[in-house]
Amino acid sequence: MVATGTWITQPVAFTSYQVTLGRIALVGLVALGLTAVILMGELDLSVASTLAVAGVVMASIDNLALGIIAALVVGLLIGAANAFLVVVVGINSFIATLGMLFLLRGLAFVISDEEPVRLSNIDAGISFGKPLIGEFTPRILLFIFTFIVMHLFLTRVRVGREFYAVGGNRQAARDAGIPVRRRIFTGFMISGLVAAGSGVINALERTAADPTAGSTVLLSSFAAAIVGGILLNGGRGSVFGTLLGATSLGILQVALTLSVVQVDVQNIIIGSVLFIAVISDPNSIRAVSGSVRSFLRGGSVLSKPSVDPKEATNNG
Amino acid sequence: MTSEASGEATTTSEAAARTADLGDRGGADPDIKRRKLHVLEQMANRGIFFFTAALVLIAALFIDGFASLENITDVFHRAAPIGIVAVGMTFVVISANYLDLSVVAQVATAAVVLIGVSNNSNIPMAIGLALLIALAYGIVNGVAVGVFKANAVIVTLSTTFIGLGLLRWASGGSIYFGPSDGPIRSFGTTEIGPFPLSMIVLVVIAIGLHFLLNRTTFGFLLKSYGSNRNATRLAGVNTALVVVGAFLISALGSTIGGFVLAAFSNTAVSAMSSGFDFEALAAIIVGGTSVFGGKGSVLRTLLGVVFVSVLTNIMVLSGLGFGYQQMAIGALIAAAVSVDALARRAAGK
Amino acid sequence: MDNHRKESKITPFRVLSLGLVVAASLLFAACGGDDSDDSSSGSAASTATTTEAAATTEAAAQYEVFALLPQGNDQPYGTTYLPPMMAKADELGINLNITNSQYDADKQASECEVAVAANPDLIILWPAVGDTVRPCLEAAKDAGIPVTVTNSDVNPEDKDLTEAYSGPDTYGQGAASGELMCEFADGQDIGIIMVNGLTGNSTAIDRENGFEDTINEQCANVTILARQPGNWNKDDSQLAASEMISAVGAENIQGAYAADDTMVAGVIDALKARGIDPADMIITSIGNTFLGNPLVVSGELDGTVFQSSSWDGEHAVTVAHQVLTNDPAARIVEFMPSVKVTADNADDSSVAPEW
Repeated sequence: MVATGTWITQPVAFTSYQVTLGRIALVGLVALGLTAVILMGELDLSVASTLAVAGVVMASIDNLALGIIAALVVGLLIGAANAFLVVVVGINSFIATLGMLFLLRGLAFVISDEEPVRLSNIDAGISFGKPLIGEFTPRILLFIFTFIVMHLFLTRVRVGREFYAVGGNRQAARDAGIPVRRRIFTGFMISGLVAAGSGVINALERTAADPTAGSTVLLSSFAAAIVGGILLNGGRGSVFGTLLGATSLGILQVALTLSVVQVDVQNIIIGSVLFIAVISDPNSIRAVSGSVRSFLRGGSVLSKPSVDPKEATNNG
Repeated sequence: MTSEASGEATTTSEAAARTADLGDRGGADPDIKRRKLHVLEQMANRGIFFFTAALVLIAALFIDGFASLENITDVFHRAAPIGIVAVGMTFVVISANYLDLSVVAQVATAAVVLIGVSNNSNIPMAIGLALLIALAYGIVNGVAVGVFKANAVIVTLSTTFIGLGLLRWASGGSIYFGPSDGPIRSFGTTEIGPFPLSMIVLVVIAIGLHFLLNRTTFGFLLKSYGSNRNATRLAGVNTALVVVGAFLISALGSTIGGFVLAAFSNTAVSAMSSGFDFEALAAIIVGGTSVFGGKGSVLRTLLGVVFVSVLTNIMVLSGLGFGYQQMAIGALIAAAVSVDALARRAAGK
Repeated sequence: MDNHRKESKITPFRVLSLGLVVAASLLFAACGGDDSDDSSSGSAASTATTTEAAATTEAAAQYEVFALLPQGNDQPYGTTYLPPMMAKADELGINLNITNSQYDADKQASECEVAVAANPDLIILWPAVGDTVRPCLEAAKDAGIPVTVTNSDVNPEDKDLTEAYSGPDTYGQGAASGELMCEFADGQDIGIIMVNGLTGNSTAIDRENGFEDTINEQCANVTILARQPGNWNKDDSQLAASEMISAVGAENIQGAYAADDTMVAGVIDALKARGIDPADMIITSIGNTFLGNPLVVSGELDGTVFQSSSWDGEHAVTVAHQVLTNDPAARIVEFMPSVKVTADNADDSSVAPEW
């Protein structure tokens, strides 16, 4: 339906499908990484800042290959740091990654001396933005690759399948012998790695790393992951949902860019689409009646049972 | 001098609130553990107070220019607009709905409407219109989250898009200046001692909301809804109204915050409130309101706002750039909540 | 596995609802979006012209042009840049499709890809981040679409990929403001505070460098004691200035520079709030806006550099039109005159403020 609606009004969005795919990949890649975390009922607000830091780190290192590796390692480390705060220290992921959001954004500015950093090898960057196979640029291919890997990981690999269990009922997952803490570490590191990968791709395609990068990515990637059918509190959905969300948003954005609609009106339309999509979601209605417990308790990694009774007395 | 007095006032009420908490917690544990628990819990519960006091002390001793009347006023100018937004948003956080992203749009709308409309007609008309818009925001967000049970992050994200789009589309996006001698200007420049009027507004609102949260049925229902949605619903409470109420308070806070922000600079632009969403949330969380909902305190948010403002002020006084300022705020959030979490867990064991 | 069942049950419904919304909203968009009667502000005049302009050009348009801008109605400058731009386009038979990337380089790059795919007659580019636009320029070149640059020029090595530039010399504006500072300081040893634009923003960086280089070269007697970003906002600037005064001590400050008039108004208010008369200080800025010009007239602001948003918006289109019609051999460069505005000429009609 999204497709048809757009096709009628803005056929260019499809005739030049690789552009639309590029837009989908821009937000979709970050959203895919995010999916691993959201599936477990956790959140990662630091993805946009991770993207900026990774880009700046890569551009600051003269050797391209070394730079890419360093950036990806930084992404993994950031993911591990997030997971450490969540699992070991026991902070809610929403707060821990909020702190990281500020800290990493600051770090990106400090490393880059508050200015965009140009790649030492600009030609490599430009050829990276060119189609590699058919009409597909490396970004699109990497997006498709990540999608397939994520999908296989979450459906075919035991570790990945256990993500759903961790997101569903954490205590039950623990009782079933699933190493919940390690799964959460894995999830955050996936999210950090993918966000860093996006940062690398962005910096390569633009031939420079901008410390202010990612300003519009954070909320659009959340929108993509959630509109696609993943509840913020996890346990439902798949990477297909995220793909669907990113695709709808991407097509909508490209179609609106092509239409001669004023930018402010475009924002009103995007907002309205999001709003209607989220309130017409039968999942959220069912979720409240069906899984209030997981909604409330699923948000924490902390060994909740020891804390819960106190909270109860406090509120009572 | 005066700043310390204000600090003390907050301390006393804070301590009172905490003591009540401690009584509850301590009672359930064996005597032997109690002392250890007491210390740790106290640290956890008063963490933000100790942090703030330590920061102010260090700043006063080591940072040139911190302990001056003018600088204290600057800290309050920094704290007031974001603080009024944050104390309102605290209600949304307590209702276990994460945050209200649309404060960005709401603050900008209130600021532009206050100056833009009062230039064309009069101030009461502008305030009335802004309050009507706040009502609309509160109801739309609240109904979507409370009745449709939609995800609050996405709902408020979408209303941000719609709200900023409408504001820019309808206003043409200009910058608005108030008259250089009008009541808005005098509100923005009047100070009583080191206190700008905006800070007094913040304190009055915070105290009012503190009573609303702790002394009224609405406050009680909001907290119980935040800690256990289903039980509250099953108890026959109209939970939708509770949620709408929380979002209405957030909208009201944002609108008054917008007024104060516009009055301070006597200008309004639709981009002036960017970043208010996560900055307000940071203050709420540093203050110690639980992001799980159910627990929280308006006065703690007030302290959180003062803390973040003092920190930013110190960074600026020390000549550190934007990057370091952001890093410090991030590190601070992580440190504050880590201490809190570790202390709670140690106490729980 | 249970998840998949749920997923498949939900998806069709969601896709349906999403699709309906998209279709409905696009329909709404096609109708010109004129059925919204929100009257939350008194000055909707400029918006009305916007939609009208878009509607009328539809018929007479000879050229399809994409304008990739990083700001629009979200910033005061963009607000006054757009109407003259659209009026000129209307006059010259150009159908403009304008985007706003909000200074996000990735968003602008994506918009550039869309623009190239739409295969317009020309692309007008206002770089969000100057260092990042080369791939966009190469893509346009490969597709045979000429690109003209407005407001802030591309890097020197990228210039041969573009056909024209019109707009201010942002570095030169900073330099001009620095020259004013040097003139007013007149050899005395003075300390100043500096308020810059949004951190990381190209215009902010260029102006800061232009000002600082000029001070260092032409008047070493002027010392920058402290600097902070003011984020192009009056309130942020006012606070930052006040805190910088606390940091370095009011007695050490004899002047101030801010990267635009909105922010310098904040600096002046911060001085006043401390009982310091701004007229006794040497203060320079850039803009000559509705906010800044009266301050020059009143003597509180010593000098500013005129930036005409209408000149900028109009020339973006006229230069593009030249490229479209004449196919000029060399790159057209039209610099906005950087007129210095001081008490001597602040009342001149030639420097009447525009934004």
